[in-house]
Amino acid sequence: MAEWTETKGTSNLAVTAAGLRKRYADGTVALDGIGLAVSEGEIFGLLGPNGAGKSTALQILTTLLIPTAGQAQVFGLDVVRCQAAVRRVIGVALQETGVDPLLTGVEALELQARLHGARRAEALRRARELSERLQLEGFANRRIAGYSGGMRRRLDLAMGLVHRPRILFLDEPTTGLDPLSRKALWDLVRAVHAEAGTTVFLSTQYLEEADALCDRIAILRAGRIVAEDTPARLKGRMRRDVIELVPADAAHCKALLVVADGVAPGAAIDRETVRVAVADGAAAARALLAAADGAGIALAGLRVAPPTLDDVFIELTRDQGADGTVMPPRLVPDGPFGGGA
Amino acid sequence: MRTLRLAADVWLLTARALKVTLREPWSVVPNVAISLFFLLVYNAGLGGIGRLSAFGGMPYLSFILPVALVSGSVGGAGAAGQALIRDLESRYFTKLRLTPVSRTALVVAPMLSGMIQVGAQTVLILLVALALGLKLPGGPAAAVAVVLLAAGWGLGFAGYAVAVALRSRSGRTAQAATFVFFPLLFLSDTFVPMTLIKAGWMRVAAHINPTTYVFDAMRSLLSGAAQPAPVVRGILAVLALAAVTLGWAVYTAQRTLRDA
Repeated sequence: MAEWTETKGTSNLAVTAAGLRKRYADGTVALDGIGLAVSEGEIFGLLGPNGAGKSTALQILTTLLIPTAGQAQVFGLDVVRCQAAVRRVIGVALQETGVDPLLTGVEALELQARLHGARRAEALRRARELSERLQLEGFANRRIAGYSGGMRRRLDLAMGLVHRPRILFLDEPTTGLDPLSRKALWDLVRAVHAEAGTTVFLSTQYLEEADALCDRIAILRAGRIVAEDTPARLKGRMRRDVIELVPADAAHCKALLVVADGVAPGAAIDRETVRVAVADGAAAARALLAAADGAGIALAGLRVAPPTLDDVFIELTRDQGADGTVMPPRLVPDGPFGGGA
Repeated sequence: MRTLRLAADVWLLTARALKVTLREPWSVVPNVAISLFFLLVYNAGLGGIGRLSAFGGMPYLSFILPVALVSGSVGGAGAAGQALIRDLESRYFTKLRLTPVSRTALVVAPMLSGMIQVGAQTVLILLVALALGLKLPGGPAAAVAVVLLAAGWGLGFAGYAVAVALRSRSGRTAQAATFVFFPLLFLSDTFVPMTLIKAGWMRVAAHINPTTYVFDAMRSLLSGAAQPAPVVRGILAVLALAAVTLGWAVYTAQRTLRDA
């Protein structure tokens, strides 16, 4: 524990990073100098589209990758020089990790606890406690090969919690999960955070997820942080109205999008709703209604709403996209193979 | 304290590897079957040449048994590499890397489980040989020594398989790498004593091939009149191979696991 005494001045910060850069052997620059400061007890989200550098950042912070330049500390421990000490304080559920499908849930948890130094009886007790806590009881003694996607994510979370870490790193914890499993996982993350005060550092490509879970968000795009603030203040930055149009027939969604885009460029589909960000809600609403009418599309609803993070995201990535490489955000969760920045 | 921790981690990881192997027994069966097939076929087909004076009165079954054992240990050790590939592919290996466990434990554990697997199948092949009429004039002590030699040879090859698996991270490459099996097993006094090998180049190859010394040590032990010299040479060959491949595996782990 010698590392603690050397660095006590910074230990109220869970994560710090400065000038963090990662250039892979093939020349790809995944991270182009990012800085981070996450306080202890926070739920912090790294938000961005596929390929933005989220996974790279998480792999560096969890000692799996060595940065090309810059530095990062977890509770004051340098992630390159104090790898072993960092691994004792972090809990991890990354896309880059998996579990042996031939083991049972309890076996995997018990081994994980023992590798973290727990004695046999203690490890078994912790394994049972966590499988109950994460609603795996019925399956705890079955092989992981037969687990559903949601169960695997919960097991992954349990494995990250075995040694009572001070910070939990989650890489796209709900990518590919159905809406129910996703809500259940959110509740678990919130519960862990509330009960043990564990700091949570997660990455996600879903604005909805960041909005629901995080105290603070950094938006990552092409290896750079383009915005960092609380979800509320990020939304407050949008001094624009958002108009939501719901077609009477969901099949007309695409056609309505084209019409709306003609009135106010940047319209997007979110489920069965077309969303348009405009400067003047009242004037635009009239124009949109006329345009929809002209195209013969009947509307079931029209709302003028406050901006969501989706809108902030579209706005931010458009600002940065002068080089023509705007990456649209994912508005709707995709299938089980999605993700993997 | 650190050594104790390392030993405890190695044991935990080895026990888990063995447990998983037992849950997938079909991964072991083909290798044991090939060894037994060698034993049966070579003994049935070539057994008669045991009457030649060059064999010094040793039954051909005792002469060919080490070939079956070494073939089993090389093949069984290859399974250690495949087990590691499986962990790399399921990404469980990355999960293990994120525990405070040392890199050394991560590569030594699959080697040890490979060695234990080789030891167990050696005992099995010995039992079959006994059923075929093998005589053990050297008694149980000689049999135990033969098992240890085979297991040690397996440990050495497991190190090689693990290092290749870590470097390539590909099941196919690891599979291809086990082809060293052929020159090692057959460029030696595999079927007849050295004095009966006709081609000069083959005799040279056999002298260079470390497997020859393992064969000779096993044969000496099985003959019941074990000479110290061939046994010591066999032990040295086993220790040398194990030391080199263990070093290579640990070095590969330190290097490749730093940054993927």
